[in-house]
Amino acid sequence: MNGRERVLALLDGQPIDHLPLMPITMMFAADTAGVPYGRYALDHRVLADAQCRTAAQYDFDYVSCISDPAREAADCGAKVVWFDDQPPALDEVDALLADKSRLRRLARPDPQAGGRMTDRVQAAALLRERAGAERLVEGWIEGPCAQGADLRGINTLMLDFYDDPGFVHELFAWVIDMELRFARAQIEAGADLIGIGDAAASLVGPHLYDAFVLPYEKRLVDGVHEMGARVRLHICGNTRPLLTSMGTLGADIVDLDYPAPLDEARQAMGPRQVLLGNIDPVRVLRDGTPESVTAAIAACHAAAGDRYIVGAGCEVPRGTPPENVQALTRYAQSTRF
Amino acid sequence: MIDLAQLGAAVERGDRDSARSLTQAAIDAGQAPQEILDAMVGAMGVVGRRFQAHEVFVPEMLIAARAMKESIALLEPLLVQAGIRPVARAIIGTVEGDLHDIGKNLVAMMWRSANIEVIDLGANVSPQRFLDAARQHEPHLVGLSALLTTTMPAIRRTVETLRQAGVAAPRIVIGGAPVTLQYAREIGADGYAPDAASAVDLARQLLGLQGSPS
Repeated sequence: MNGRERVLALLDGQPIDHLPLMPITMMFAADTAGVPYGRYALDHRVLADAQCRTAAQYDFDYVSCISDPAREAADCGAKVVWFDDQPPALDEVDALLADKSRLRRLARPDPQAGGRMTDRVQAAALLRERAGAERLVEGWIEGPCAQGADLRGINTLMLDFYDDPGFVHELFAWVIDMELRFARAQIEAGADLIGIGDAAASLVGPHLYDAFVLPYEKRLVDGVHEMGARVRLHICGNTRPLLTSMGTLGADIVDLDYPAPLDEARQAMGPRQVLLGNIDPVRVLRDGTPESVTAAIAACHAAAGDRYIVGAGCEVPRGTPPENVQALTRYAQSTRF
Repeated sequence: MIDLAQLGAAVERGDRDSARSLTQAAIDAGQAPQEILDAMVGAMGVVGRRFQAHEVFVPEMLIAARAMKESIALLEPLLVQAGIRPVARAIIGTVEGDLHDIGKNLVAMMWRSANIEVIDLGANVSPQRFLDAARQHEPHLVGLSALLTTTMPAIRRTVETLRQAGVAAPRIVIGGAPVTLQYAREIGADGYAPDAASAVDLARQLLGLQGSPS
Protein backbone atom coordinates (compact mmCIF):
# COMPACT_ATOMS: atom_id res chain seq x y z
CA MET A 1 0.00 0.00 0.00
CA ASN A 2 1.54 3.35 -0.95
CA GLY A 3 0.99 6.65 0.86
CA ARG A 4 -1.80 7.89 -1.37
CA GLU A 5 -3.63 4.59 -1.21
CA ARG A 6 -3.21 4.47 2.57
CA VAL A 7 -4.67 7.94 3.19
CA LEU A 8 -7.56 7.51 0.76
CA ALA A 9 -8.37 4.06 2.14
CA LEU A 10 -8.56 5.43 5.65
CA LEU A 11 -10.81 8.27 4.53
CA ASP A 12 -13.06 5.81 2.70
CA GLY A 13 -13.29 3.45 5.66
CA GLN A 14 -11.35 0.73 3.86
CA PRO A 15 -8.66 -1.46 5.47
CA ILE A 16 -5.18 0.03 5.84
CA ASP A 17 -1.83 -1.55 6.63
CA HIS A 18 -0.70 1.06 9.15
CA LEU A 19 -1.57 4.61 10.24
CA PRO A 20 -0.97 7.33 7.65
CA LEU A 21 1.65 10.01 8.36
CA MET A 22 0.87 13.61 7.36
CA PRO A 23 2.83 16.18 9.40
CA ILE A 24 2.79 19.74 8.05
CA THR A 25 6.28 20.80 6.95
CA MET A 26 7.23 24.19 5.54
CA MET A 27 10.40 25.70 7.04
CA PHE A 28 11.48 22.24 8.13
CA ALA A 29 11.18 21.08 4.50
CA ALA A 30 13.11 24.08 3.20
CA ASP A 31 15.87 23.42 5.74
CA THR A 32 15.92 19.72 4.84
CA ALA A 33 16.51 20.73 1.22
CA GLY A 34 19.01 23.42 2.21
CA VAL A 35 17.13 26.34 0.65
CA PRO A 36 16.21 29.69 2.22
CA TYR A 37 12.53 29.92 3.01
CA GLY A 38 12.04 33.06 0.95
CA ARG A 39 12.86 31.03 -2.18
CA TYR A 40 10.63 28.16 -1.05
CA ALA A 41 7.67 30.53 -0.79
CA LEU A 42 8.44 32.28 -4.08
CA ASP A 43 9.24 29.42 -6.45
CA HIS A 44 7.05 26.32 -6.81
CA ARG A 45 10.01 24.35 -8.19
CA VAL A 46 11.96 24.92 -4.98
CA LEU A 47 8.91 24.07 -2.88
CA ALA A 48 8.14 20.89 -4.83
CA ASP A 49 11.73 19.73 -4.66
CA ALA A 50 11.92 20.33 -0.90
CA GLN A 51 8.56 18.64 -0.29
CA CYS A 52 9.56 15.58 -2.30
CA ARG A 53 12.93 15.30 -0.59
CA THR A 54 11.40 15.63 2.87
CA ALA A 55 8.61 13.17 2.13
CA ALA A 56 11.15 10.67 0.80
CA GLN A 57 13.54 11.13 3.72
CA TYR A 58 10.83 10.62 6.37
CA ASP A 59 8.49 8.43 4.34
CA PHE A 60 5.51 10.79 4.62
CA ASP A 61 2.33 9.71 2.88
CA TYR A 62 1.80 13.07 1.21
CA VAL A 63 3.33 16.22 -0.18
CA SER A 64 1.80 19.66 0.19
CA CYS A 65 1.60 23.07 -1.47
CA ILE A 66 1.28 24.90 1.86
CA SER A 67 3.77 27.73 2.35
CA ASP A 68 2.29 30.89 3.88
CA PRO A 69 -1.10 32.58 4.21
CA ALA A 70 -0.24 35.57 2.02
CA ARG A 71 -0.72 34.14 -1.49
CA GLU A 72 -4.33 35.14 -2.10
CA ALA A 73 -3.98 38.46 -0.26
CA ALA A 74 -0.87 39.29 -2.30
CA ASP A 75 -2.78 38.73 -5.54
CA CYS A 76 -5.60 40.90 -4.20
CA GLY A 77 -3.06 43.72 -3.82
CA ALA A 78 -2.27 43.51 -0.10
CA LYS A 79 1.12 44.71 1.08
CA VAL A 80 3.37 41.73 1.76
CA VAL A 81 6.66 41.95 3.63
CA TRP A 82 9.30 39.49 2.45
CA PHE A 83 12.14 37.93 4.42
CA ASP A 84 15.11 35.95 3.13
CA ASP A 85 14.61 32.94 5.33
CA GLN A 86 11.17 32.98 6.92
CA PRO A 87 7.60 33.16 5.64
CA PRO A 88 6.34 36.37 4.02
CA ALA A 89 3.86 38.25 6.17
CA LEU A 90 1.07 40.74 5.67
CA ASP A 91 1.46 44.25 6.96
CA GLU A 92 -1.31 44.49 9.54
CA VAL A 93 -0.90 48.23 10.00
CA ASP A 94 -1.52 48.86 6.30
CA ALA A 95 -4.26 46.30 5.60
CA LEU A 96 -5.79 46.25 2.13
CA LEU A 97 -9.32 46.66 3.48
CA ALA A 98 -8.51 49.12 6.26
CA ASP A 99 -11.22 51.11 4.47
CA LYS A 100 -13.96 48.51 4.28
CA SER A 101 -15.80 50.30 1.49
CA ARG A 102 -12.99 49.06 -0.76
CA LEU A 103 -14.39 45.54 -0.67
CA ARG A 104 -17.13 46.42 -3.16
CA ARG A 105 -14.54 47.62 -5.66
CA LEU A 106 -12.07 44.80 -5.08
CA ALA A 107 -11.65 42.43 -8.01
CA ARG A 108 -11.20 38.75 -7.22
CA PRO A 109 -7.80 37.61 -8.48
CA ASP A 110 -7.62 34.98 -11.19
CA PRO A 111 -5.64 31.98 -9.87
CA GLN A 112 -4.20 31.49 -13.36
CA ALA A 113 -3.11 35.11 -13.91
CA GLY A 114 0.53 34.55 -13.08
CA GLY A 115 0.66 35.74 -9.47
CA ARG A 116 1.40 33.93 -6.24
CA MET A 117 -1.78 31.87 -6.54
CA THR A 118 -0.59 30.62 -9.92
CA ASP A 119 2.72 29.61 -8.37
CA ARG A 120 0.79 27.38 -5.96
CA VAL A 121 -1.29 25.89 -8.78
CA GLN A 122 2.00 25.13 -10.54
CA ALA A 123 3.26 23.54 -7.32
CA ALA A 124 0.24 21.24 -7.29
CA ALA A 125 0.93 20.21 -10.89
CA LEU A 126 4.63 19.64 -10.28
CA LEU A 127 3.99 17.70 -7.08
CA ARG A 128 1.49 15.51 -8.94
CA GLU A 129 4.10 14.87 -11.62
CA ARG A 130 6.85 14.12 -9.10
CA ALA A 131 4.76 12.14 -6.61
CA GLY A 132 2.89 10.17 -9.25
CA ALA A 133 0.46 7.83 -7.60
CA GLU A 134 2.82 7.17 -4.70
CA ARG A 135 1.92 10.04 -2.44
CA LEU A 136 -1.19 12.12 -1.92
CA VAL A 137 -0.93 15.71 -3.18
CA GLU A 138 -2.38 18.40 -0.95
CA GLY A 139 -3.39 21.83 -2.20
CA TRP A 140 -4.05 24.67 0.22
CA ILE A 141 -6.47 27.56 0.62
CA GLU A 142 -7.29 29.95 3.45
CA GLY A 143 -10.57 29.77 5.34
CA PRO A 144 -12.98 32.70 5.68
CA CYS A 145 -11.75 34.00 9.02
CA ALA A 146 -8.04 33.71 8.20
CA GLN A 147 -8.37 35.28 4.77
CA GLY A 148 -10.79 37.90 6.05
CA ALA A 149 -8.21 38.81 8.69
CA ASP A 150 -5.45 38.94 6.07
CA LEU A 151 -7.42 41.45 4.04
CA ARG A 152 -9.10 43.51 6.74
CA GLY A 153 -6.46 43.27 9.49
CA ILE A 154 -7.01 40.79 12.29
CA ASN A 155 -7.44 43.36 15.06
CA THR A 156 -10.08 45.24 13.09
CA LEU A 157 -11.92 42.09 12.00
CA MET A 158 -12.31 41.04 15.63
CA LEU A 159 -14.14 44.33 16.32
CA ASP A 160 -16.17 44.05 13.11
CA PHE A 161 -17.97 41.00 14.51
CA TYR A 162 -19.72 43.38 16.91
CA ASP A 163 -19.53 46.69 15.06
CA ASP A 164 -20.62 45.65 11.58
CA PRO A 165 -21.85 42.04 11.33
CA GLY A 166 -23.21 42.66 7.83
CA PHE A 167 -19.77 43.58 6.59
CA VAL A 168 -18.27 40.40 8.06
CA HIS A 169 -20.80 38.31 6.15
CA GLU A 170 -20.12 40.26 2.97
CA LEU A 171 -16.36 39.85 3.41
CA PHE A 172 -16.54 36.12 4.14
CA ALA A 173 -18.85 35.48 1.18
CA TRP A 174 -16.39 37.36 -1.07
CA VAL A 175 -13.50 35.37 0.34
CA ILE A 176 -15.00 31.94 -0.14
CA ASP A 177 -15.88 32.67 -3.75
CA MET A 178 -12.21 33.49 -4.36
CA GLU A 179 -11.02 30.46 -2.37
CA LEU A 180 -13.27 28.04 -4.24
CA ARG A 181 -11.83 29.24 -7.56
CA PHE A 182 -8.35 28.77 -6.11
CA ALA A 183 -9.24 25.29 -4.88
CA ARG A 184 -10.62 24.34 -8.30
CA ALA A 185 -7.42 25.41 -10.05
CA GLN A 186 -5.31 23.32 -7.67
CA ILE A 187 -7.57 20.30 -8.03
CA GLU A 188 -7.49 20.56 -11.80
CA ALA A 189 -3.69 20.72 -11.54
CA GLY A 190 -3.61 17.46 -9.62
CA ALA A 191 -4.37 18.01 -5.94
CA ASP A 192 -6.17 15.07 -4.31
CA LEU A 193 -7.02 16.97 -1.17
CA ILE A 194 -7.41 20.62 -0.24
CA GLY A 195 -6.22 21.87 3.12
CA ILE A 196 -8.29 24.70 4.53
CA GLY A 197 -6.33 26.80 7.03
CA ASP A 198 -8.50 29.06 9.16
CA ALA A 199 -6.12 30.11 11.93
CA ALA A 200 -7.93 33.22 13.11
CA ALA A 201 -11.10 31.22 13.77
CA SER A 202 -9.65 30.00 17.07
CA LEU A 203 -9.74 33.57 18.41
CA VAL A 204 -13.53 33.64 18.48
CA GLY A 205 -15.86 31.70 20.74
CA PRO A 206 -18.51 29.19 19.71
CA HIS A 207 -21.26 31.81 19.45
CA LEU A 208 -19.44 33.91 16.83
CA TYR A 209 -17.94 30.84 15.18
CA ASP A 210 -21.37 29.29 14.62
CA ALA A 211 -22.93 32.53 13.44
CA PHE A 212 -20.18 33.85 11.19
CA VAL A 213 -17.46 31.33 10.41
CA LEU A 214 -18.99 27.89 10.26
CA PRO A 215 -21.52 28.62 7.48
CA TYR A 216 -18.71 29.79 5.17
CA GLU A 217 -16.32 26.99 6.12
CA LYS A 218 -19.19 24.63 5.33
CA ARG A 219 -19.58 26.18 1.88
CA LEU A 220 -15.87 25.67 1.27
CA VAL A 221 -15.98 22.04 2.40
CA ASP A 222 -19.05 21.28 0.30
CA GLY A 223 -17.61 23.14 -2.68
CA VAL A 224 -14.34 21.20 -2.61
CA HIS A 225 -16.27 17.94 -2.30
CA GLU A 226 -18.34 18.87 -5.35
CA MET A 227 -15.06 19.28 -7.23
CA GLY A 228 -14.17 15.70 -6.33
CA ALA A 229 -11.41 16.35 -3.80
CA ARG A 230 -11.05 15.67 -0.09
CA VAL A 231 -10.74 18.26 2.67
CA ARG A 232 -8.34 18.68 5.58
CA LEU A 233 -9.44 21.40 8.02
CA HIS A 234 -6.71 22.96 10.14
CA ILE A 235 -7.36 25.76 12.62
CA CYS A 236 -4.24 26.82 14.52
CA GLY A 237 -4.64 27.56 18.21
CA ASN A 238 -7.09 26.46 20.84
CA THR A 239 -10.20 25.06 19.16
CA ARG A 240 -11.41 23.23 22.24
CA PRO A 241 -14.59 25.33 22.53
CA LEU A 242 -15.34 24.81 18.81
CA LEU A 243 -14.95 21.05 18.51
CA THR A 244 -18.62 20.13 18.33
CA SER A 245 -19.27 22.70 15.60
CA MET A 246 -16.16 21.73 13.63
CA GLY A 247 -17.40 18.16 13.65
CA THR A 248 -20.50 19.17 11.69
CA LEU A 249 -18.55 20.48 8.69
CA GLY A 250 -18.02 17.14 6.98
CA ALA A 251 -14.27 17.70 6.53
CA ASP A 252 -12.61 14.41 5.65
CA ILE A 253 -9.77 15.17 8.07
CA VAL A 254 -9.96 17.44 11.11
CA ASP A 255 -6.36 18.37 11.92
CA LEU A 256 -6.18 19.74 15.47
CA ASP A 257 -3.60 21.95 17.12
CA TYR A 258 -2.20 20.75 20.44
CA PRO A 259 -4.46 22.64 22.90
CA ALA A 260 -7.54 20.64 21.79
CA PRO A 261 -7.59 17.20 23.48
CA LEU A 262 -8.17 14.41 20.98
CA ASP A 263 -10.41 12.44 23.33
CA GLU A 264 -12.71 15.46 23.57
CA ALA A 265 -12.61 15.80 19.79
CA ARG A 266 -13.53 12.16 19.36
CA GLN A 267 -16.43 12.51 21.75
CA ALA A 268 -17.60 15.73 20.10
CA MET A 269 -17.24 14.57 16.51
CA GLY A 270 -18.24 10.93 16.70
CA PRO A 271 -16.51 7.66 15.78
CA ARG A 272 -16.29 8.19 11.99
CA GLN A 273 -14.43 11.49 11.92
CA VAL A 274 -10.78 11.13 10.89
CA LEU A 275 -8.64 13.13 13.32
CA LEU A 276 -5.04 14.25 12.78
CA GLY A 277 -2.49 15.53 15.26
CA ASN A 278 -1.70 16.81 17.69
CA ILE A 279 1.48 16.67 19.75
CA ASP A 280 2.82 20.03 20.90
CA PRO A 281 5.07 21.08 18.02
CA VAL A 282 7.52 23.08 20.12
CA ARG A 283 7.53 21.58 23.60
CA VAL A 284 7.34 17.94 22.49
CA LEU A 285 8.35 17.57 18.84
CA ARG A 286 11.15 20.13 18.67
CA ASP A 287 12.33 20.15 22.29
CA GLY A 288 11.67 16.50 23.17
CA THR A 289 13.47 13.23 22.49
CA PRO A 290 12.49 10.34 20.22
CA GLU A 291 11.23 8.57 23.34
CA SER A 292 9.05 11.46 24.50
CA VAL A 293 7.76 12.04 20.95
CA THR A 294 6.82 8.36 20.68
CA ALA A 295 5.06 8.41 24.03
CA ALA A 296 3.15 11.58 23.12
CA ILE A 297 2.02 10.35 19.71
CA ALA A 298 0.97 7.01 21.20
CA ALA A 299 -1.17 8.93 23.67
CA CYS A 300 -2.74 10.89 20.80
CA HIS A 301 -3.48 7.65 18.95
CA ALA A 302 -5.02 6.11 22.05
CA ALA A 303 -7.23 9.16 22.56
CA ALA A 304 -8.31 9.40 18.92
CA GLY A 305 -8.75 5.69 18.15
CA ASP A 306 -7.93 4.17 14.75
CA ARG A 307 -9.68 6.78 12.55
CA TYR A 308 -6.47 8.70 12.98
CA ILE A 309 -3.52 10.18 11.09
CA VAL A 310 -0.13 10.80 12.71
CA GLY A 311 1.03 14.43 12.79
CA ALA A 312 1.97 17.33 15.02
CA GLY A 313 -0.45 19.98 16.26
CA CYS A 314 0.83 22.42 13.67
CA GLU A 315 3.87 22.85 11.42
CA VAL A 316 6.95 20.80 12.31
CA PRO A 317 9.08 23.66 13.65
CA ARG A 318 12.40 24.66 12.20
CA GLY A 319 15.16 23.13 14.28
CA THR A 320 13.29 19.93 15.09
CA PRO A 321 15.86 17.11 15.38
CA PRO A 322 15.50 14.66 12.47
CA GLU A 323 15.38 11.75 14.91
CA ASN A 324 12.22 13.22 16.48
CA VAL A 325 10.49 13.30 13.08
CA GLN A 326 11.76 9.77 12.46
CA ALA A 327 10.07 8.78 15.72
CA LEU A 328 6.74 9.83 14.18
CA THR A 329 7.50 7.72 11.10
CA ARG A 330 8.47 4.71 13.19
CA TYR A 331 5.32 5.02 15.26
CA ALA A 332 3.01 5.26 12.25
CA GLN A 333 4.68 2.32 10.54
CA SER A 334 4.72 0.18 13.67
CA THR A 335 0.94 0.20 13.95
CA ARG A 336 -0.76 -2.81 12.41
CA PHE A 337 -4.35 -3.39 11.40
CA MET B 1 -24.80 59.23 42.46
CA ILE B 2 -24.17 56.63 39.81
CA ASP B 3 -24.04 52.97 40.72
CA LEU B 4 -20.51 52.20 39.61
CA ALA B 5 -21.40 48.52 39.38
CA GLN B 6 -23.43 49.50 36.33
CA LEU B 7 -20.36 51.14 34.82
CA GLY B 8 -18.37 47.98 35.49
CA ALA B 9 -21.08 45.87 33.89
CA ALA B 10 -21.12 48.11 30.79
CA VAL B 11 -17.34 47.72 30.44
CA GLU B 12 -17.60 43.95 30.92
CA ARG B 13 -20.08 43.59 28.08
CA GLY B 14 -18.19 46.04 25.86
CA ASP B 15 -21.05 48.53 25.75
CA ARG B 16 -19.04 51.63 24.89
CA ASP B 17 -22.00 54.03 24.73
CA SER B 18 -23.30 53.08 28.17
CA ALA B 19 -19.79 53.05 29.64
CA ARG B 20 -19.09 56.55 28.38
CA SER B 21 -22.41 57.99 29.50
CA LEU B 22 -22.17 56.37 32.95
CA THR B 23 -18.61 57.67 33.32
CA GLN B 24 -19.72 61.17 32.38
CA ALA B 25 -22.67 60.94 34.76
CA ALA B 26 -20.38 59.82 37.59
CA ILE B 27 -18.02 62.71 36.85
CA ASP B 28 -20.93 65.14 36.78
CA ALA B 29 -22.17 63.76 40.10
CA GLY B 30 -18.76 64.52 41.61
CA GLN B 31 -17.82 60.95 42.36
CA ALA B 32 -14.17 60.32 43.18
CA PRO B 33 -12.05 59.69 40.04
CA GLN B 34 -10.20 56.88 41.80
CA GLU B 35 -13.48 55.07 42.50
CA ILE B 36 -14.62 55.45 38.90
CA LEU B 37 -11.24 54.16 37.69
CA ASP B 38 -11.31 51.24 40.13
CA ALA B 39 -14.75 50.19 38.87
CA MET B 40 -13.38 49.88 35.34
CA VAL B 41 -10.11 48.23 36.34
CA GLY B 42 -12.13 45.70 38.33
CA ALA B 43 -14.42 45.06 35.36
CA MET B 44 -11.46 44.35 33.08
CA GLY B 45 -10.09 42.00 35.75
CA VAL B 46 -13.35 40.08 35.49
CA VAL B 47 -13.08 40.04 31.68
CA GLY B 48 -9.52 38.72 31.96
CA ARG B 49 -10.56 35.89 34.24
CA ARG B 50 -13.49 35.01 31.98
CA PHE B 51 -11.04 34.94 29.06
CA GLN B 52 -8.77 32.54 30.92
CA ALA B 53 -11.80 30.35 31.63
CA HIS B 54 -12.79 30.38 27.91
CA GLU B 55 -16.07 32.11 28.73
CA VAL B 56 -15.23 35.10 26.54
CA PHE B 57 -12.83 35.34 23.62
CA VAL B 58 -10.68 37.87 21.77
CA PRO B 59 -13.50 39.97 20.24
CA GLU B 60 -15.21 40.35 23.62
CA MET B 61 -11.93 41.36 25.28
CA LEU B 62 -11.31 43.93 22.58
CA ILE B 63 -14.71 45.58 22.84
CA ALA B 64 -14.51 45.64 26.65
CA ALA B 65 -11.08 47.27 26.53
CA ARG B 66 -12.33 49.79 23.98
CA ALA B 67 -15.26 50.71 26.23
CA MET B 68 -12.83 51.30 29.08
CA LYS B 69 -10.38 53.25 26.95
CA GLU B 70 -13.05 55.64 25.71
CA SER B 71 -14.39 56.12 29.23
CA ILE B 72 -10.91 56.71 30.65
CA ALA B 73 -10.46 59.47 28.07
CA LEU B 74 -13.32 61.33 29.76
CA LEU B 75 -11.82 60.71 33.17
CA GLU B 76 -8.21 61.53 32.28
CA PRO B 77 -8.23 65.28 33.15
CA LEU B 78 -9.66 64.52 36.59
CA LEU B 79 -7.11 61.77 37.18
CA VAL B 80 -4.31 64.19 36.34
CA GLN B 81 -5.83 66.89 38.51
CA ALA B 82 -6.12 64.50 41.43
CA GLY B 83 -2.54 63.33 40.98
CA ILE B 84 -3.65 59.75 40.27
CA ARG B 85 -0.99 58.09 38.21
CA PRO B 86 -0.63 54.68 36.59
CA VAL B 87 0.78 52.06 38.93
CA ALA B 88 3.68 51.26 36.58
CA ARG B 89 5.08 51.96 33.12
CA ALA B 90 5.75 49.38 30.39
CA ILE B 91 7.13 49.25 26.90
CA ILE B 92 5.95 46.46 24.63
CA GLY B 93 6.52 45.24 21.09
CA THR B 94 6.62 42.28 18.74
CA VAL B 95 10.27 41.42 18.16
CA GLU B 96 12.33 41.97 15.02
CA GLY B 97 11.24 40.02 11.96
CA ASP B 98 7.74 39.33 13.29
CA LEU B 99 4.75 41.30 12.01
CA HIS B 100 2.09 39.52 14.07
CA ASP B 101 0.70 41.94 16.57
CA ILE B 102 -2.64 40.78 17.96
CA GLY B 103 -1.10 38.95 20.93
CA LYS B 104 1.02 41.96 21.77
CA ASN B 105 -2.00 44.24 21.38
CA LEU B 106 -4.06 42.11 23.76
CA VAL B 107 -1.34 42.24 26.41
CA ALA B 108 -0.92 46.01 25.95
CA MET B 109 -4.65 46.44 26.29
CA MET B 110 -4.90 44.33 29.43
CA TRP B 111 -1.93 46.07 31.04
CA ARG B 112 -3.53 49.44 30.32
CA SER B 113 -6.77 48.13 31.75
CA ALA B 114 -4.86 47.31 34.94
CA ASN B 115 -3.78 50.99 35.10
CA ILE B 116 -0.27 50.36 33.76
CA GLU B 117 0.99 53.01 31.35
CA VAL B 118 1.97 51.25 28.11
CA ILE B 119 4.22 52.57 25.37
CA ASP B 120 3.49 50.35 22.38
CA LEU B 121 6.47 50.14 20.01
CA GLY B 122 4.50 48.15 17.41
CA ALA B 123 5.64 45.09 15.46
CA ASN B 124 9.02 44.15 13.95
CA VAL B 125 10.90 46.08 16.65
CA SER B 126 14.68 45.76 16.67
CA PRO B 127 16.67 45.21 19.89
CA GLN B 128 18.14 48.68 19.45
CA ARG B 129 14.67 50.25 19.31
CA PHE B 130 13.70 48.43 22.50
CA LEU B 131 16.91 49.71 24.10
CA ASP B 132 16.32 53.28 22.94
CA ALA B 133 12.76 53.16 24.26
CA ALA B 134 13.92 51.68 27.56
CA ARG B 135 16.42 54.50 27.99
CA GLN B 136 13.86 57.12 27.07
CA HIS B 137 10.91 55.88 29.12
CA GLU B 138 12.65 54.03 31.99
CA PRO B 139 9.90 51.38 32.16
CA HIS B 140 9.28 49.01 35.04
CA LEU B 141 8.24 46.33 32.55
CA VAL B 142 9.28 45.28 29.06
CA GLY B 143 6.99 42.98 27.06
CA LEU B 144 8.40 40.98 24.13
CA SER B 145 6.13 39.00 21.83
CA ALA B 146 6.76 36.54 18.99
CA LEU B 147 4.36 34.29 17.10
CA LEU B 148 6.91 32.46 14.99
CA THR B 149 9.53 29.94 16.03
CA THR B 150 11.81 31.70 13.55
CA THR B 151 11.60 34.97 15.43
CA MET B 152 12.15 33.53 18.91
CA PRO B 153 15.92 34.15 18.65
CA ALA B 154 15.08 37.86 18.34
CA ILE B 155 13.57 37.68 21.84
CA ARG B 156 16.90 36.37 23.13
CA ARG B 157 18.84 39.08 21.28
CA THR B 158 16.56 41.77 22.70
CA VAL B 159 16.90 40.47 26.26
CA GLU B 160 20.70 40.34 25.85
CA THR B 161 20.78 43.86 24.43
CA LEU B 162 18.76 45.25 27.33
CA ARG B 163 20.75 43.38 29.96
CA GLN B 164 24.16 44.19 28.49
CA ALA B 165 23.31 47.87 28.18
CA GLY B 166 22.50 47.92 31.88
CA VAL B 167 19.32 49.93 31.53
CA ALA B 168 17.50 50.52 34.78
CA ALA B 169 16.69 46.87 35.49
CA PRO B 170 13.21 46.50 34.02
CA ARG B 171 11.39 43.21 34.48
CA ILE B 172 11.20 41.48 31.11
CA VAL B 173 8.11 39.44 30.26
CA ILE B 174 7.90 37.29 27.11
CA GLY B 175 5.05 35.54 25.37
CA GLY B 176 3.69 34.15 22.10
CA ALA B 177 2.60 30.82 20.70
CA PRO B 178 6.01 29.07 20.52
CA VAL B 179 7.39 30.60 23.72
CA THR B 180 7.75 28.52 26.86
CA LEU B 181 8.61 29.08 30.50
CA GLN B 182 11.74 27.03 29.93
CA TYR B 183 12.78 29.37 27.11
CA ALA B 184 12.16 32.40 29.33
CA ARG B 185 14.48 30.92 31.94
CA GLU B 186 17.12 30.00 29.35
CA ILE B 187 17.37 33.52 27.96
CA GLY B 188 17.20 35.34 31.28
CA ALA B 189 13.73 36.84 31.00
CA ASP B 190 11.89 37.44 34.26
CA GLY B 191 8.66 35.77 33.27
CA TYR B 192 6.50 34.07 30.67
CA ALA B 193 2.79 34.65 30.19
CA PRO B 194 0.74 32.15 28.15
CA ASP B 195 -2.06 34.65 27.50
CA ALA B 196 -3.00 38.30 27.92
CA ALA B 197 -4.88 37.88 31.19
CA SER B 198 -1.98 35.95 32.71
CA ALA B 199 0.29 38.79 31.63
CA VAL B 200 -1.57 41.08 34.03
CA ASP B 201 -1.18 38.67 36.94
CA LEU B 202 2.49 38.23 36.07
CA ALA B 203 3.08 41.99 35.89
CA ARG B 204 1.46 42.48 39.31
CA GLN B 205 3.55 39.68 40.75
CA LEU B 206 6.83 40.91 39.27
CA LEU B 207 6.20 44.50 40.33
CA GLY B 208 4.99 43.58 43.79
CA LEU B 209 1.61 45.19 43.21
CA GLN B 210 -1.58 44.20 44.99
CA GLY B 211 -3.57 41.25 43.63
CA SER B 212 -6.16 41.49 40.91
CA PRO B 213 -9.00 43.81 41.74
CA SER B 214 -12.33 42.10 41.89
